[in-house]
Amino acid sequence: MEAATLPIPTWRANLATIGALMARARNEILRVPGAAIPGVLAPTIFFLGLNGVFGALTELRGFEVGSYESFLVPVSMLQGAGFTGAAAGVNLARDIEQGWLDRLLVSPAPRWVLLAGTVLAASTRALIPATFVLAIALPLGAGWPGIDGLLVTYLMVAAMAAVAACWGSMLALRFKSQSAAPLMQSGMMALVLFTTAYAPLALLQPWLADVAEVNPVTEVVEAARQGFVGGVTWAGTWPGLVALVALLAVLGSLALREMRRTNV
Amino acid sequence: MGTAAIAVERLERSFDEVRAVQGIDLEVDEGEIYGFLGPNGAGKTTTVRMLTTLLLPTGGRATVAGHDVIGEARAVRASIGVALQEAALDPLMTGRELIRLQATLQGLPGREGRRRADALLERVDLADAADRRVGGYSGGMKRRLDLAAALVHEPRVLFLDEPTTGLDPVSRKTIWEEVRALNDVGTTVFLTTQYLEEADQLADNVGIIDRGLIVAEGPPAKLKAELGHPHVRLQLEEGSIATAEEACARIGRLLPPVDGRTVLVEVENGAADIPRVVRALDEAGVAVGSLELVHPSLDDVFVAKTGEHLEGDEEGGERGALTA
Amino acid sequence: MSGLATNLRVVRALGLRSIRQTFRRPQLMAPILVFPTLLLAIQTGGAGSAVDLPGFPPVQSFLQFMLAGAMMQALMLAGNSGGIALAVDLEMGFVDRLFAAPIARYTIVLGRLAGTAALGLLSALWFFAIGIAFGAEIEGGIAGAAIAVLLVTATAMAVGGIGSAIALRTGTASVVQGLFPLVLVVLFLSSAFFPVDLMIEPARTIAEYNPFSFIAEGVREPIVAGIDARDTAEALLAIAAIVALGMGLSARALRHRLRVG
Repeated sequence: MEAATLPIPTWRANLATIGALMARARNEILRVPGAAIPGVLAPTIFFLGLNGVFGALTELRGFEVGSYESFLVPVSMLQGAGFTGAAAGVNLARDIEQGWLDRLLVSPAPRWVLLAGTVLAASTRALIPATFVLAIALPLGAGWPGIDGLLVTYLMVAAMAAVAACWGSMLALRFKSQSAAPLMQSGMMALVLFTTAYAPLALLQPWLADVAEVNPVTEVVEAARQGFVGGVTWAGTWPGLVALVALLAVLGSLALREMRRTNV
Repeated sequence: MGTAAIAVERLERSFDEVRAVQGIDLEVDEGEIYGFLGPNGAGKTTTVRMLTTLLLPTGGRATVAGHDVIGEARAVRASIGVALQEAALDPLMTGRELIRLQATLQGLPGREGRRRADALLERVDLADAADRRVGGYSGGMKRRLDLAAALVHEPRVLFLDEPTTGLDPVSRKTIWEEVRALNDVGTTVFLTTQYLEEADQLADNVGIIDRGLIVAEGPPAKLKAELGHPHVRLQLEEGSIATAEEACARIGRLLPPVDGRTVLVEVENGAADIPRVVRALDEAGVAVGSLELVHPSLDDVFVAKTGEHLEGDEEGGERGALTA
Repeated sequence: MSGLATNLRVVRALGLRSIRQTFRRPQLMAPILVFPTLLLAIQTGGAGSAVDLPGFPPVQSFLQFMLAGAMMQALMLAGNSGGIALAVDLEMGFVDRLFAAPIARYTIVLGRLAGTAALGLLSALWFFAIGIAFGAEIEGGIAGAAIAVLLVTATAMAVGGIGSAIALRTGTASVVQGLFPLVLVVLFLSSAFFPVDLMIEPARTIAEYNPFSFIAEGVREPIVAGIDARDTAEALLAIAAIVALGMGLSARALRHRLRVG
């Protein structure tokens, strides 16, 4: 027999593999009844609960936004993204525990392709809870963000989910166990909520204001919030984009490193 | 004959202080079926994982299909098919989806992948179940599916890690037939097993591994012939073992016992020595439950090299059974 | 009565097992403390200026106000995890072994709840430690703290009872786990995190009648003001109501399980 070669151009094979892995990830939602519900509902529940609880904060001086719903909904959408991405990490950990990942690792598919499948699946999946929250928030008083606002927000949501999936994947590959799940979830929760999530910077307690100022996700929250509380500008958007690109670069390379070290 | 499909030189793998594989050498020719035999924990799976690039060796080197497992890992992966011990299957996928995914992973174009998937499902007799979820498959069906998936890209070398462990005899025979059929068209097969009969039946060459070292290697017939002598297997009453052993020791060499009611004695002259054994036991007043003449098996080879029996030995070699 | 003595021994044995299980796997225990602690930090940091709102009850700080909410959250998680643990026992077949033994059925659930109670106790102590470390004052002193700890522990068991009922009915751990968001809903619709008077409708009306609001107030009063017999009594009544509900549901689920097999 001749030596085996990849029969079609590599880039096409890689794309096909990423697509196939994303299709497999969809099975989780489509084929397990009720599996999607917690992930879709949780951000909405948080939104409704937090809104009911903290809605009165808008009466404080310094809170320029009239509607707490408008202020909060982008945070809930990003929270959903964090949750979805972390869940992708949990699924990867389960795949490792059950030996499924070995099947992918003995194939000639490059490691980055395997990671991309998980990350992109999470990215697209996060749009579902985000849309659900938005659909609930609009009739409750959240302002319509406009098409540009909506696009920016969804972009932030998809990218945040990718960041979370890189974080979750990194931990899954490092610990090879689903028991790392709380770390995956709480890490993302902290990242999204230690920001101007609940109140503008000026109204945060000093220690949280300090943390929020150095937390790159604050820029993401502010960028996603633009359309809901005012108008979208490039100046309000690019810091969020930079933050996401930086987070993706760092967490993505850490995750890829772990993916490459599975055989050590 | 031909270049080596698998060549291993002083291959080693340690986990902290545990040396799972302690420096092994082996060579598998193209078109050969190589049986890697050993008890649980001997280092079989660790070796396979190194050869399939799932684990980095901590010493030595290995090439598979002409490619180095460390430096040319991706080329190795393109050349091999692997069916691992934990049949790595997704219970939510259907059989057809799984083989198609495997085809995509191997870089096969869509249409070709689908065609091969359908053909392989027919071949392993899963065509009817192909659109059912794997979660509902039996153990035998899962193994057949795993095997089919490993073949979708027509690999040069096929690695099977304990392919029939836990299967019923019928499913086991099916897998064996499939392995033979693959080998007939030239696929090299590296097979690990703890079942003697499997190694005996399938392998052109057998490597016996114990505690991380290869203790014997060669064609099964040759390994057994080296031992030469058959042994008599006596099933006795409890309490008469010591007397029986003393009586038999004068006729042949005692072998390590398998349980508390059996005595094994190697006899140089085969069946001709049976009357002597019976007489000796009779004179010693020992009642015999059953008596068999057992020709050397790979277990005996293992015993000769390590002093212990192989685990999972359910069937010994050929037997001439005499029951009192 | 030898029957009662035997059953108490069984409860003790199962209880010890449940406690050992809980604390032997810290990675499962950690989220019950970690998440509420994180949220406590975020909420006091983010919404802390709420104390400036007109109508906000007089408190030393928002942290002092929120301690009760954090404890409520932790005990809900503990109760939920108790239900999950029982569901796992069911899936594993351990409970079948207990059913086949000559013991009273209620001992199975009670024994399970011992672990939940231990977690509830631990979380109450944890948040008191955090509160004190970050400068919150416990107005009711040691006695007040003791009352709060007792209420939290009892509520954890009560919630665990409901979780156990669900576990007995469904027999599946992932279903019990999936109900966790609902648990949060119940808390949000109470005075656990914010004064009821300042909540937005319809959350406000629901919170006024939510038994968990009474419990939250019962836990909070000793911390922010001092021991109040009425608040404590109302909290105890609310706990009793939840216990009754849990027991009723558990009994029905047990009967169903034994009938269906």
